[in-house]
Amino acid sequence: MSDDVVLVVVDTDACIGGGQCEMLEDATFVLDEDTMVSSITSDGTLPRARAELVVDRCPGRAISIVEPSPA
Amino acid sequence: MTVARSLAPIDLNDAKSFGSGIPHEAFATMRATPGLTWTPDAAEHGKGFWSVTRQTDLVTVSRDPETYSSAVGHIQIYDIDEDALDARASMIDMDPPMHTRLRRLVSSAFTPRHVQAYRTSIRARVDAALDALQTARGGDWVSTVAAPIPIGVICDLMGVPEADHRYLIELSDHLVAGTGNEPLDPDAYGNTVDLRLLPFNSPAAFAMSAYADQLAERRRAEIVAGHATDDLVTKLLEAEVEGERLSPEEFANFFRLMIFAGNETTRSAMAHLALHWHHFADQFARARHDRTLVASLTDEVIRYSSPILYFRRTVTKPTELSGTPLAAGDKVVMWYASADFDETIWESPLEFLAARPSVPPHVAFGGGGAHFCLGASLARLEISELIDEMLDRDLRFASVGEPVFVESNFVNGIEHLGVRL
Repeated sequence: MSDDVVLVVVDTDACIGGGQCEMLEDATFVLDEDTMVSSITSDGTLPRARAELVVDRCPGRAISIVEPSPA
Repeated sequence: MTVARSLAPIDLNDAKSFGSGIPHEAFATMRATPGLTWTPDAAEHGKGFWSVTRQTDLVTVSRDPETYSSAVGHIQIYDIDEDALDARASMIDMDPPMHTRLRRLVSSAFTPRHVQAYRTSIRARVDAALDALQTARGGDWVSTVAAPIPIGVICDLMGVPEADHRYLIELSDHLVAGTGNEPLDPDAYGNTVDLRLLPFNSPAAFAMSAYADQLAERRRAEIVAGHATDDLVTKLLEAEVEGERLSPEEFANFFRLMIFAGNETTRSAMAHLALHWHHFADQFARARHDRTLVASLTDEVIRYSSPILYFRRTVTKPTELSGTPLAAGDKVVMWYASADFDETIWESPLEFLAARPSVPPHVAFGGGGAHFCLGASLARLEISELIDEMLDRDLRFASVGEPVFVESNFVNGIEHLGVRL
């Protein structure tokens, strides 16, 4: 199934502040202007395909998908 | 026992192998060869190296800094001594977590959201460059358009005065010359440092450090006087990493990296853009009435021009890649200029297409991982503003001359490109 919803989390130590997550999903990720670390602004859920794209594009490999997604 | 190694079909150490652009045929042969291909030891370049030419392998190397290090050994093919590595180190020569700490000092200026603030000033630079070209009814596309825009933008960010932009272009050009075959004059720019300690073994690196020192001096005085400028140089001078300010050497290396990386790469892409504009006019014509295509055209220009040909990593522990066993200390070279034409990833890779899908992404900004191009969003914005303005003006070339390529196996630059309107 590719249209299900999953939960994403950010590893703040791994984040390099590349901003690719914010560019792709600005309703879910925001970069802190001072620390340049990404954090999640929404409930952290995304359609699986979008979540996989964000995980793939994160240059710091800091974003991961939590399985299974809470309902 | 010696295991037979597949050899690279051309001399990848020789800048002349790249004298007329990317050697697509040789790379295609290497991609079709199982495992990694080998280039033997060569006197002035040091130990032999493995070439990574397929996109999936390149992504694997990019994302595993524990196995494929930027800090151990040089990030260019030729080997240098430990003291030279230390002397020239900037964040591009480091691994996490040190790399991450330094990168965060400047990354706020380059986020996709933040770079939008530069759009108006970028467009003004694009306008001025195209005005100059049109007034003269043509000329050298590189010196009139491709060079001044990116150096202007990065100098604005760093806080370098406009009057010094030409000098920094000159120094940046000399740095690139250090990746070619010709020996450099060790005394140029009043250099007093052993060339082997300087980036690209170039005396221009010495001059750039001297310039950085002077600029830092002025900014420090402003900070003390209580009217600090809001630019990256000031930010770097005020920044603390684990409670410590950057040393003068760290600051100078940082400055040089930012000027070089912000200038050279986008300039190369913009130089190639003129060739694309002329040879693939039908693809750009599609965008005339559908400007949403400017975004995908921009990435196609970047993929097709592949401004940085390679970066090297050094293996830290025994491993295996694509069936080739690797030992600690082995040199692994990631050829972006090959991976972005990988026929298992790209449909008709040698065609220039206006509307390629953005998944999978090209690797001209790197294959992901900590060293993913810091300036990717800025470069995209600069190139897309240029394309947009060229469309607005319906710019047409009556003729385009033969490009003179930069002689280098590291950057895919163009020195001169005559165009007539």
